[in-house]
Amino acid sequence: MRHLIALAAASLPVMSASAAQAADNQRFIACPIYRDADAGAKSGCWLVTDPATGQQWDVSQSPYKPDWNYAVLVEGTAADTAERPCGAPVLDPVRTSRLETQCLRHMLPAEGYPGRPFVRPARNISPLSNPPAPPPGPYSERAFTLFFELDRSFVVYQYGDYLLDQAAHWIRATNPRRLVVTGYAASEPETVSGQVIAERPEMAQQRAEVVALSLSRLFPDMEIETHAVTGAQVNDHPDADGIPGQSQRRVEITALF
Amino acid sequence: MKSGSSLPAPRKGKRVLLLAAGLLCGALGFSGLAGAEGPADDRWWGPGEDRTWPEVLDYPNANGILRTLITGGPVQTKGHPFFEPMGPNGRACISCHQPADAMSLAVETIQERWRVTNGTDPIFAAYDGSNCPVLPQGEAASHSMLLEHGLFRIERPWPITEYEGRAVTPDFTIEVVRDPHGCNSGVQYGPENGRISVYRRPRPLANLKYLLAVGFAYDPKQGLTLPRDPDTGEYLSGNLMSDNRAVNLRLQMEDAASTHGEMIDRLSPAAIQAITAFNLSVFTAQQVGAHGTALDSLGATGGPATLRDSEAGALGSIGVPVFSEFAVWETIAPEEAARLSPEQLEWRRSVARGARVFRDKTFLITDSAGINSPMGFGNPVRNSCVFCHNMTRMGNDVAPGQVDLGTTTLPFADPLPDFPLFRITCTGDPHPHYGRVILTYDPGFALTSGRCADVGKITLQSLRGLSARAPYFANGSAKDLEGVVDYYERRYNIGYTAQERQDLINLMSAL
Ligand code: HEC
Ligand code: HEC
Repeated sequence: MRHLIALAAASLPVMSASAAQAADNQRFIACPIYRDADAGAKSGCWLVTDPATGQQWDVSQSPYKPDWNYAVLVEGTAADTAERPCGAPVLDPVRTSRLETQCLRHMLPAEGYPGRPFVRPARNISPLSNPPAPPPGPYSERAFTLFFELDRSFVVYQYGDYLLDQAAHWIRATNPRRLVVTGYAASEPETVSGQVIAERPEMAQQRAEVVALSLSRLFPDMEIETHAVTGAQVNDHPDADGIPGQSQRRVEITALF
Repeated sequence: MKSGSSLPAPRKGKRVLLLAAGLLCGALGFSGLAGAEGPADDRWWGPGEDRTWPEVLDYPNANGILRTLITGGPVQTKGHPFFEPMGPNGRACISCHQPADAMSLAVETIQERWRVTNGTDPIFAAYDGSNCPVLPQGEAASHSMLLEHGLFRIERPWPITEYEGRAVTPDFTIEVVRDPHGCNSGVQYGPENGRISVYRRPRPLANLKYLLAVGFAYDPKQGLTLPRDPDTGEYLSGNLMSDNRAVNLRLQMEDAASTHGEMIDRLSPAAIQAITAFNLSVFTAQQVGAHGTALDSLGATGGPATLRDSEAGALGSIGVPVFSEFAVWETIAPEEAARLSPEQLEWRRSVARGARVFRDKTFLITDSAGINSPMGFGNPVRNSCVFCHNMTRMGNDVAPGQVDLGTTTLPFADPLPDFPLFRITCTGDPHPHYGRVILTYDPGFALTSGRCADVGKITLQSLRGLSARAPYFANGSAKDLEGVVDYYERRYNIGYTAQERQDLINLMSAL
């Protein structure tokens, strides 16, 4: 594995209409509350209140759910639904990133709210015993992207792993000459709910290395090099689900032939 | 174990010889231990003996009969490296992996060996069959961890320097708070001297194809692709050993030979091959449950034959539900029911309900690293026993099963005054649930990975053959199956009804 720590200048912002609709995008920091709505396994509710507006939101649809002991950065858009299975309007798509700020652990009873029965997310990997069909050609240079929580390099179950697995299936089918893995960190400070947040710049390299390690285990003989980019900008990759902050915190895997 | 007199009366060395399969499969179930009585120590397979290990081997236990099957024909123990002493302490693999005990070693058996051999059985070897080699070896008190809890001493190097083939520097320090046996302090022992001692149960050496099976290419708990086997290049299941220190069977047996066996020479390639082949051929499970109930009767598929004949590694939630072997007993036809005693009928129904409780009764799982962090399920997350014990037929974890259930770590662990206690201080990021300072009896997986986030994680065992191998959990802290359920009640505040609790216990007794 070759590591190129090229701290390139920020990549060009690629803003599409969807990502640019900032007005719809909620972004705030709050302590999460767990509502014990019981519609079976993995059915609990997560509620947060925007400290600026006092508006409570249901953020249970985040691929990485909160820990009731820690504050979260909430990013998402109001869902186009009047249903409130957890008792608050729904943010969906939504992300909650665990921060280090401690919170008072609080749980509400169900209070008649049904919660949501767990539905396996569309982004789930298939077992080795049942691999998906190889992607149809023709094959040429192509990039794959996976996304991260704020300031973390953990590849999240049924989100990041799925995106990595998609890349792996394509790479296996096309057998490129080498892989270039570029980690991005949203290292430019921003103020959210009165707090300054920024990703540690080293997160860019850390993300690249985590993904490169996984790729090297998938393709032990493949040449893989890593790059790091700080000051990551927003893009409109569909797997960031239109959440600008999510699109910044990413790794791109480029297959070269 | 302060004196030998508190040991329970010897178990009858009754072995059920070749219970006819037809008898067990019938709708009538099994109506008594009809087998011949062997010599008193027939149950015990000693190292270096000359015996024939048959394809079907049955031994009674308090809840019925455990059956062990081997594929590939009977095995002659004489000269076989699994059965021959490895080194000067006279132990073989068989010493600690006994067929009557589901290829583990029940504490009851250990006590019986002490009594029968006056403490001279090789299992009591000073190196790890005593609390610490520095203690006077003739006294039962020096072997109390083994005699009372069924625990062998496991010595790990500290600090570790390598993990998964890469150099590591641990992000935590270890101090010894309490050292009741002397193996974590003094001039030779303890983390200060590069060695840390913990005490653990032998894990069942059977049904291994399930523990080696790989369901998915990724370890969701680590957020990484699975590492590859250094020998074969295949993905590693990550499901061996409490702390996953040995990643494949070769490394495991080399570890066992040089520690438990105090073997000076390395195992020969031929020995490695013979031991591996034998290990992979052994399947064990309870075959007969309470009230003489054949566990494969009336359409149920309990017992080891199903384990032997099934595909390994399936995730119950997307395939055959975990422990649905007994689902047919939910609806026993009236004419079948009429042929059973009321106790037999009710017990079958209870086992079937127990499997439902295991899968369907949900509770809030909290502060259990590996589940509540960093995977993204949230803390808490509502789920059931099957969330972690998710492999079809086995109940181990399809993904590498390193989870902190709290069994070894405060505040969740039961008080264990005769265990060494360590203070872990995280030097990098604090632990996501415990914070910076952690008190633990066994850091578990962290002794292998070097990460404070892994303190207290213990690889899930399989749940088969439980009736034959009490006590439970890696540190033996649950004396019996009741104790297991009680621990989960304390840990997660589940609120089982008396009926659900009994159903769950009956289910576990039938595995
Ligand atoms: C002195 C008792 C003892 C002897 C002898 C012994 N073992 Fe073990 N075995 C253990 C203990 C204790 C563990 C659990 C260790 C841990 O979890 O850290 C274990 C675990 C294992 C496991 C892991 C099973 C699992 O589910 O994780 C395998 C495989 C195994 N032993 C094979 C062997 C082989 C092969 C031999 C002979 C070369 C052997 N053992 C000799 C005590 C023993
Ligand atoms: C959060 C994950 C998780 C859940 C939920 C869970 N377990 Fe476990 N289980 C574990 C872990 C980890 C171990 C190993 C712990 C140890 O050995 O200290 C274990 C061990 C066990 C053992 C001991 C096996 C042996 O060989 O000693 C039994 C029995 C068991 N679990 C039954 C249950 C039952 C019954 C439930 C539901 C009440 C349950 N488990 C729920 C993670 C879990």
